[in-house]
Amino acid sequence: MLNNSYFSTGLASLILSLFLLFVAIPYGVTAPSNVTNIVLSPVFWPEVLSVLLGITGIALMISGRSAVKDSVAELLPTKGCYKRIAFLAVLMAAYVAAIPVLGLVWTSMISFVALAVLIKTSHPRTALISAVVIPLVLYMFFAHVAGMAIPQGEFLRLP
Amino acid sequence: MYLLKKIKMNKSKLLISAAMSVVFLSNSAFAADYPSRPISMIIPYGPGGATDISARTISEPLSKEVGKPLVMVNKAGAGGAIGSVAVQNAKADGYTMLFARVGTHTVNPAIKATLPYKLEDFRFVGIYEINPVACAVKADSDINSMEDLVARAKAKPGSVSYSSSGVGSLLQLAAAMVLKEFGLENPVKQATHLPMKGGGGAATAVLTGTATFVCTNSSALASFVKNKQLKPLLVTTAEPVAGFDAPTSKDLGKPNLEQLVGWTGVAGPDDLPDDIAASWGKWLGTATSNKEFKEKMEARGSVIRLMSPEESKEFINKQYNQFKALVDELGMRVEG
Amino acid sequence: MTLLENLAAGFELVANFESVFALAGGVLIGVIAGAIPGLSATMAVALTLPFTFAMQPITGILLLLGVYKGGIFGGSIPAILIKTPGTPASSATILDGHPMVKNGQAGKALGMALWASCTADLISNLALILCAGWLAAFALKFGPPEFFTLILFSLTIIAGVSGDSLLKGIVSALFGLILATIGLDLVYGTNRFTLNDPNLMGGLNFIAVLIGLFAIPEILAMVWNPKSNEGETQSLGKEWVTFAEYKRCFKSIVRGSFIGVFLGSIPGIGAAPSAFLSYSEARRKSPNKENFGKGEIEGVAASESGNNGVAGATLIPLLALGIPGDVITAVIIGAFMVHNLQPGPMMFLNSPDIIYGLFMGLIISSVFLFLIGSVAIRAFRYVADIPRGILFPAVMVLCVYGCYAVNNNIFDVGVMFAMGWLGYVMLCKGIPAAPFLIAFILGPLLEDNFRQSMLMSGGSGEILVRGPITWFFWTLTIITIVAIIRSGLGKKKAEAVEHGNQE
Repeated sequence: MLNNSYFSTGLASLILSLFLLFVAIPYGVTAPSNVTNIVLSPVFWPEVLSVLLGITGIALMISGRSAVKDSVAELLPTKGCYKRIAFLAVLMAAYVAAIPVLGLVWTSMISFVALAVLIKTSHPRTALISAVVIPLVLYMFFAHVAGMAIPQGEFLRLP
Repeated sequence: MYLLKKIKMNKSKLLISAAMSVVFLSNSAFAADYPSRPISMIIPYGPGGATDISARTISEPLSKEVGKPLVMVNKAGAGGAIGSVAVQNAKADGYTMLFARVGTHTVNPAIKATLPYKLEDFRFVGIYEINPVACAVKADSDINSMEDLVARAKAKPGSVSYSSSGVGSLLQLAAAMVLKEFGLENPVKQATHLPMKGGGGAATAVLTGTATFVCTNSSALASFVKNKQLKPLLVTTAEPVAGFDAPTSKDLGKPNLEQLVGWTGVAGPDDLPDDIAASWGKWLGTATSNKEFKEKMEARGSVIRLMSPEESKEFINKQYNQFKALVDELGMRVEG
Repeated sequence: MTLLENLAAGFELVANFESVFALAGGVLIGVIAGAIPGLSATMAVALTLPFTFAMQPITGILLLLGVYKGGIFGGSIPAILIKTPGTPASSATILDGHPMVKNGQAGKALGMALWASCTADLISNLALILCAGWLAAFALKFGPPEFFTLILFSLTIIAGVSGDSLLKGIVSALFGLILATIGLDLVYGTNRFTLNDPNLMGGLNFIAVLIGLFAIPEILAMVWNPKSNEGETQSLGKEWVTFAEYKRCFKSIVRGSFIGVFLGSIPGIGAAPSAFLSYSEARRKSPNKENFGKGEIEGVAASESGNNGVAGATLIPLLALGIPGDVITAVIIGAFMVHNLQPGPMMFLNSPDIIYGLFMGLIISSVFLFLIGSVAIRAFRYVADIPRGILFPAVMVLCVYGCYAVNNNIFDVGVMFAMGWLGYVMLCKGIPAAPFLIAFILGPLLEDNFRQSMLMSGGSGEILVRGPITWFFWTLTIITIVAIIRSGLGKKKAEAVEHGNQE
């Protein structure tokens, strides 16, 4: 019974609330020394929210113990799913990191192909064409119609 | 429709140039052929704001002078800090320039100790507009002069409040400075600062009676004054401002207040080469003398005044030092 | 002059080729820009502004208004089709619009969005013409304490979009409220959770959070199990919305329009909260309550009428008082000022022809919105037919471009991906995303107005009950909370009985 989503959400909320109250707020929020009234202090609102989060967390844990049914449809692990999810995380990080170096257009083309492979696309040829065309069309629209600065990268510059 | 036309026009050009020249960028571009590609002009505020409109208005005559497109890049957030930092960290090749503003480059550095950049991190190539500052109260208020306002603040501390567009904005500093000039010893304690989100909210707060008065760019108040919804108490320039039936700093004998004006200029990173800075000085000179540009800007209440790079630097440093002294005296500095 | 004479004079001003063309072109630009994530209606209006300088005042302003209205509607197209709202205002449309696409009713959802938008637009314009003065005077009574109570009441919508578990909805909302505190403190300007990174000082970008929370988890789920839904193509759904359905939703549409008019006439709230409020009211009143969130057409109608109802009404404070209600109207004020027109009470006396010309133009714009919108959705709904193996990578690339374009900041793309992972965990744990989003929008408003009230009163809580408007919203809030608790208890009892029966 303790494994259901109510209990785990509640526990996570409680831990987060304690983390906020004892670590994140004291170190992350600066309150000037000349605050005259506690309700005006920059820490007041985050503290109120953290306490509420803790209380809701406890309530969820209690309701989790007595919950009649857990309505969340379980996402059953499929073959290789953890590997794919981990690869996607790397892909996303690489996407963000590569934009300043390669430029948005080239990075997007590579990422498009990588994601298409990852989800085992059933139309590989169309995917490849789209991977080239879509970033280019978006670039032309944003850069030349909307007049925005799309990152160009260090190597290949588009007109 | 214009946009659509533009696509069509550009399409043929684009195809040709795309086919012929996927240009390899050489890092050792000579400054002599500067600019050889479009220049990113960072606007540290969101689209539609006063800085944005001013920047987009000057970009028209300016890009004709530059010879390459100027790409307007809005990077808003944290009172202009995000956009300013982007230019501070940019390569000093003249392809990333900043529309600097009174808020980002004199008020913010004076008030915020935690600001991620300093005034010295930038090289100014020119200031092109000045925005007079005006203070106003609600039209049906019984306050008719600055003296009335200060007298009320003295009689009942906390009863007078002023709205601003946030901590570290010109509006906050202007109100405190004006109160101080008119003899209120400690404006920070004796009057209440009401930070709103955005400049529009600040003027509205006076209109709804939330705040007693506001000091901001005259252009932001012009329509309210014309519609007799707000009553101007003073303008900070020595010359009168059209549409504002209020005493000037000269009439009131407060020459110090003449420093209290808004401005917009162009800046690059601090190691910007001399020849690039010189080109910009020249371009700005020609752009600001454009008649159409002048008319558009003046219709919105700004004063076109071009300063050379040296003049700009001097002007900004003087304003910064004055603001800094005031902030230190009043204990307005944000440390955290 | 009577109203009719004024309108006739205004009609003369508008009944020429340029004005009509400007309106149609504006709506078209707006719909296209709105349909592209990252190009919000605000940005489209700001980008069009420079082109209006050379035009006649009325033509230029009509062009901008066309873009504005088109943009607000256009945002609903990607919200429905790819779960990525083109503008923040259409985020409520996702809740039922996207499930409808999954049920193969893409055409129906888009059609209802258009019909509801146009109806709301018309009602909003009529409200502007008929009661601008009255509503404007009312809007001026809103100070921080009134705002605070209004927003507090609006937060009760969370209960309506929480799904199965109210507690999970509250947790979701609290996450949103806490994340919204990142950035510089309003009153003291100090850092909150910024780690001294200038990017965080500006707070998390709203669009990045929005796209991350809704669109990215879909991609994650697809990667988790690529074979799921393989068989069921998201069939096009040639089904068009029927008049009977429109009639069934009419009440919700009218209600949403009036919520839009009311919230739009108060400066500083915007279209997104209005859409959510309209949605939750429709759900509360609807006999099909259970179907909301699973592809209920009335949900689409309610959210779209809520956000388009705002469009005409934001012009009320603009024209009557000269106050811009949001960033878009602030840009439009710029267009007035370039032509030496000062919006405000005097404008009704000095240049009534322009005012009534605008009114006529607005009415015509509703018609154009309908015509151009119909063409647009016929073109766009084929998106639902794109095979998922291509659609998903394309959506990811589109999200990255859009997210970047909002503020020209790569950091925002990182925020979007990070929020995607949070959204996915929430999805796995059955925590609804909508309360998070509502809280993220309303949280800063709630805190700011609370603290501004406290500054005004010197720390005394009495100011929060200072007048009839605050009393009204306090009462509404209390009634709603009591109703939520009572229905919650009722549900529990029913569940317990059912459970007992099973055993």
